[in-house]
Amino acid sequence: MIVKCVIWDLDNTLLSGVYLESGPRPPAADPAMLAAATQLRDRGIIHAVATRNPPEAARHAARVTGLDFAAAECGWGRKSDAVRRIVQDLAIAPDAVAFVDDDLYERAEVSAGVPQALVLSPEDMADAVGWPEFSPAAVTAEARRRGEMYAERRRRLAEARAFAGSRDEFLRYCRTQVAIAPATAADAPRLHELSARTHQFNTSGETLAESALAALIGSAAHQVTTVGLRDRFGDDGMVGGSVVDRGAGCAWTVTLLMMSCRATGRGVIEALLAWLARSAAQGGAAELAVPCLVSPRNVPLRLALAASGFRAPPGGQAGLSAAVFSRSLSGPLPDLPGWVTAG
Amino acid sequence: MNPGQQRRECAERAADSDLLGELREILAEATGREDLLGVGEQAPLFGPGVGLDSLTGTLLLREVRRRFGVDVAGEDLNLDALATLGTLAAFIRDRSAAPGPARTADPGPPGIGPAKARSGGT
Repeated sequence: MIVKCVIWDLDNTLLSGVYLESGPRPPAADPAMLAAATQLRDRGIIHAVATRNPPEAARHAARVTGLDFAAAECGWGRKSDAVRRIVQDLAIAPDAVAFVDDDLYERAEVSAGVPQALVLSPEDMADAVGWPEFSPAAVTAEARRRGEMYAERRRRLAEARAFAGSRDEFLRYCRTQVAIAPATAADAPRLHELSARTHQFNTSGETLAESALAALIGSAAHQVTTVGLRDRFGDDGMVGGSVVDRGAGCAWTVTLLMMSCRATGRGVIEALLAWLARSAAQGGAAELAVPCLVSPRNVPLRLALAASGFRAPPGGQAGLSAAVFSRSLSGPLPDLPGWVTAG
Repeated sequence: MNPGQQRRECAERAADSDLLGELREILAEATGREDLLGVGEQAPLFGPGVGLDSLTGTLLLREVRRRFGVDVAGEDLNLDALATLGTLAAFIRDRSAAPGPARTADPGPPGIGPAKARSGGT
């Protein structure tokens, strides 16, 4: 399991002292925790704060550490509730977070309230920078910018809430650009990272090694595609991809479809599905099939499939764990929205 | 039709329109669009007018499960229930009326709630 976000307590954890008891000189960053946090940031792990302090404590912590906090919960409620709100706010799963607190009662409370989270003392955290949970195989450009991307996401969400109009109108207003292009060998590390990190939008649920991806990219029988996303708030880089097996008959099969959940609600998955259908039709296929795991975790993907006209044969639903969604390519195909460029 | 049957039918029609009203509220909340409070019962939810997508659809399904105890995604492989608010209302009504195993309390969004204990350092 890969940790995507570390949630920090402040007093005597990220800060060396207690914020409200330090009078005119608020505490400096704890050197050991700062070193760990910076290392993790450079690997693409983002940071958040859960503290029993007023909001200015989080601003102070950001100043003295130089970290971007993707979220900050400052209040006097239970820490487990704060952790849960951060997880929902950032649209990540609770087993993708680590929580660091010097107070053993707080650690116990969070362990009980959010059992999937990785709960650590500061001493654990200092050691944990070497653990597999905190060590992605390769650090991609998207990973290094992740903290900034979350700041961009917050600005985009704030504008979305204030916007009066349809979702498509908002996407145009944001100058959304989706770039769909054939994968090259250089894309294998980021495609591998996506296959490991995506769960809500992932048809297979299995990680593909870089070497396996490189082989597929070089294979004549397969079509590997990357999806890039940017808008006026920022550039998210490569956010998704797909692997299509052109097969021998008239049906092409999407053996892997994946998208970062950060790209949710921005029309990207629908754009990719539309492009895949059109590309298959242009290639002479009569049908496009998408085998897909059926789990509560990838309901968002099933929504995108349903919205894009893909259907699976019903029946045998109790305990059904995989289904093949498909759509015919003979009727009218969905248009690509104007903001999609296909290379 | 006797007066008793008429009363029952009126009550059912009133309940139906309550249910539709609630679904319109849930849809407006999920999409952040007040104009959808007036959306028609037959308007296609995935069509361009409403534009339900993977994000707003998830929020809608989550609230439906929370309020009515009905897990649409768990029971409807192709999400046909989401064709329109009318089909969704019918789906919920059928599951509320049918006798069956007692519905347990909403387990919360996927991934949150009692789950297998995490083993550290895996």
